[in-house]
Amino acid sequence: MMEVLEKLIRLPQKGEYMEVRLESIFSTTIRVQNGVVEKIRVGTDEGGYIRLLAPRGSWWFESFQHWDGLQEKVERAINGASLLPKSDIEVIRKPPVEDEKKVTLTDDFRFKSLKDKTSLLLSYDRILREISPLLVSSLVEYRDEFRQIYLANSDGSLIYWEKPDISISFMATARKGDNIEVYRNGVAGKAGFELVKNQETLAQEVGGKALLLLEAPSFSGGVYDVILDPVLAGVFIHEAFGHLSESDTLYHNEELKKIMAKGKKVSSPILNVFDDGSLDNLRGSSPYDDEGIPTGRTYLIKDGYLSGRLHSRETAFLMQEETTGNARTINYGFPPIVRMTNTAIEEGKTTREDLFSDIERGLYAVEYIGGNTALELFTFSAAYGYLIEKGKIKEPVKDVVLSGNLFQTLDKIDAVANDFRWTEVGGCGKGGQMGLPTPTGSPHIRLREVLVGGSHND
Amino acid sequence: MIEVASLLKKRGIPGDIFAHQIFNQEVSYEANLFKGYRKEEREGYGLRVINPEGKLGFYAFNRLLNPQEALDKALEVSQLGDRVDFSIPTYPSSWEWENFVDPRVENLEAQEMIELGDYILSRIREEYPRVLVDIVISAGKEEKSLLNHHEEELKFARTFFEIGVSANQTREGDILEVYTERSWGNRDIDVEGLVQEIVSKLEFSQRVANLNSGKYPVVFTPSGSLVLFIALFYGLNGKNWVFGRSPLGDKEGKVLFSSLFSLEEIQEPWALGSCPFDDEGIMTKAQRSIIDRGRVESAFWDLWSAAKKGIKPTGNGFRSSYRDLPEPGFSSLRVKNGLRDRDTLIGELEEGLIVDSVLGLGQSNVASGYFSCNVQLGFYVKKGEIQGRVKDVMISGNAYPALFNLKEISRDSRWIGGRILLPYLLIEPVEVNK
Repeated sequence: MMEVLEKLIRLPQKGEYMEVRLESIFSTTIRVQNGVVEKIRVGTDEGGYIRLLAPRGSWWFESFQHWDGLQEKVERAINGASLLPKSDIEVIRKPPVEDEKKVTLTDDFRFKSLKDKTSLLLSYDRILREISPLLVSSLVEYRDEFRQIYLANSDGSLIYWEKPDISISFMATARKGDNIEVYRNGVAGKAGFELVKNQETLAQEVGGKALLLLEAPSFSGGVYDVILDPVLAGVFIHEAFGHLSESDTLYHNEELKKIMAKGKKVSSPILNVFDDGSLDNLRGSSPYDDEGIPTGRTYLIKDGYLSGRLHSRETAFLMQEETTGNARTINYGFPPIVRMTNTAIEEGKTTREDLFSDIERGLYAVEYIGGNTALELFTFSAAYGYLIEKGKIKEPVKDVVLSGNLFQTLDKIDAVANDFRWTEVGGCGKGGQMGLPTPTGSPHIRLREVLVGGSHND
Repeated sequence: MIEVASLLKKRGIPGDIFAHQIFNQEVSYEANLFKGYRKEEREGYGLRVINPEGKLGFYAFNRLLNPQEALDKALEVSQLGDRVDFSIPTYPSSWEWENFVDPRVENLEAQEMIELGDYILSRIREEYPRVLVDIVISAGKEEKSLLNHHEEELKFARTFFEIGVSANQTREGDILEVYTERSWGNRDIDVEGLVQEIVSKLEFSQRVANLNSGKYPVVFTPSGSLVLFIALFYGLNGKNWVFGRSPLGDKEGKVLFSSLFSLEEIQEPWALGSCPFDDEGIMTKAQRSIIDRGRVESAFWDLWSAAKKGIKPTGNGFRSSYRDLPEPGFSSLRVKNGLRDRDTLIGELEEGLIVDSVLGLGQSNVASGYFSCNVQLGFYVKKGEIQGRVKDVMISGNAYPALFNLKEISRDSRWIGGRILLPYLLIEPVEVNK
């Protein structure tokens, strides 16, 4: 395959920048609901794209499914791009890289039988259903995926790498009359089948949490001191600051560039935030990004000051900054765009106990349902929470949604604990590219006076 | 794929093969600059079989496999599958439906799309020279076909044409972003209406207005009301009825909503969801009542869920891609409109809020209907006049009582995503937090 690609990338001769990606995705999805194997989906998906930029031109992108006729496709791209309007887009060029990165899995899911996978799911489903008759519905969903990627570009780079991904998620629905509560949780990783085994305790917990939500009152809205658990704190930084650090949101926006200027104070001094796509075995990691740039660590916030941002070749060129290895695509149907990899709030020094101790009346917000952002506005929903009174964790509450203005909120972080951990489940959507693995990490953090949504009726 | 169907017939295995082809081309603009052209061609097949023990098997692929290999894989999966209570449908030999293919969309040249993009850009910048505009224009064609073990075939093609525009205005301490879209099966998209909507949203947003926390009457625009409909669609999903997860599951025939509220599934020809048959070969009805004057009449039923419930499917089995099995969904929907204009509704508000879009859609407890969202774009109204845009405001409540507390529905409606025709809804009271 590499010989074919090597020839192709020599075809453009007028200073174009071109990428050819070929991708093969082998995947299995199994879903068990209420004891029924409702869905088994296995399949192989093959495809690729050609992306080409004429000098000072604009992007030509063609995605396809069959790996034949590549030369004609490249010729069509060269011709097509030459007819597009000029747009002054340029990209950073790099020295060529030739590399092959294969992955060895401990317990390779590709060699597990469907029967083994299915019976594991059925056993978890049984656990979920036996917890309580109030759990009207159980769902266990398993997914594995093994990707092989060939990438060649005009730098002369020829790279092959592999990307395994596996996950299992549990969902329980508890119901009493019209009160219906759903709780879900799971595990995901760049790992083998071993990751999804021995998750009985998690299945138990998921059932238990759905029941807890059924009894918990809704949280009444208002302004509170809030402690975020590591899961929710990770989602917060991803939504609130991570997206604004993606340079494609600001590289043409002079006003936003001023707001997001490097060296500007953006938060309290105890905050350090980074994105790192080179960490071992996290789902957002990869040896290279989808433009063939090696991944690495970029500090977004250092001691409260804005210190970096995430780039593709294009944004880095325009802003005259270094590439960071953050151009990612969800699959061969889409061009790479600036994305986070693994994004985290660095560990602080406060103990978890000290974080709670001086809160008179507040909220401990735990895990998440989702998060969303529109530049400076952000919102994210906790899975549930607990009231805090005089430093102590009290009764559980549900329907906890935190929302606010980024710049005001970052300044309200007044303590960062020393209990850092990564959360790998979940995915991020941007520009029609949904479900990209973007793990987040954080310790517990404390925010003062945050707007929390809710109803005064309850 | 006829070979696979023939093989099914020969072996006496009930089954169907779903084929989906999409051709799509797109031009995009980023921050007032032309960004590029994207073209995509995709096709794929999903083979569904019911083995002699009555168990369901499925295999999806996008390369032409040898028919025997595809069938073997589907049968292998079926050994672990669910014993199903439905049979693979037979198809009528003829039906009254034509393809909805607009040659003006099918044969659209990239150059024309660029001219249209340039036009939209210049029109918005005439009014607001300092905003940064992003535009995506897509045009293409999709074809769906089904073949079953009787070697019967269903086929349908449509074109689609979609324009999405957002405009950004950034100032120190205030970032504003407004968005709208138009999507339709043919070229007849009201481009002027789209431009006007962006311009008037920018106009009303120039001033920031303050309102206090409390309960207010709220006018949800067609796009804003998705916050309510996302919960309702969950509630109307037949599978959720079967699994006891829908609050509507035991309320068929009951009046739950305002008598002003009626929801219908319709096959409006150029609407993007409309189709002669669903993705498992059940014919759709030209018009079907889901909620009639507040009463729950029906829900969305695919073959699988309908069989579990012991009722007939309603033609609501849709697949998110060829790789997926059908799930309950809908074709095109319409909320019945009212008698008076949107402007009259707003003009009569003593004090209230207009909600045009929210952040955090579907991220609360959708199952029970609860919502709590940041208002991404909303306007404060006093004495019938729009005072300005609200910032850092949340709305919360529950979609079910909210649709019961519906006070009025506007005469004017708009298609959202080319699939749901929605009017403006006046709901009172809605909890607003700041």
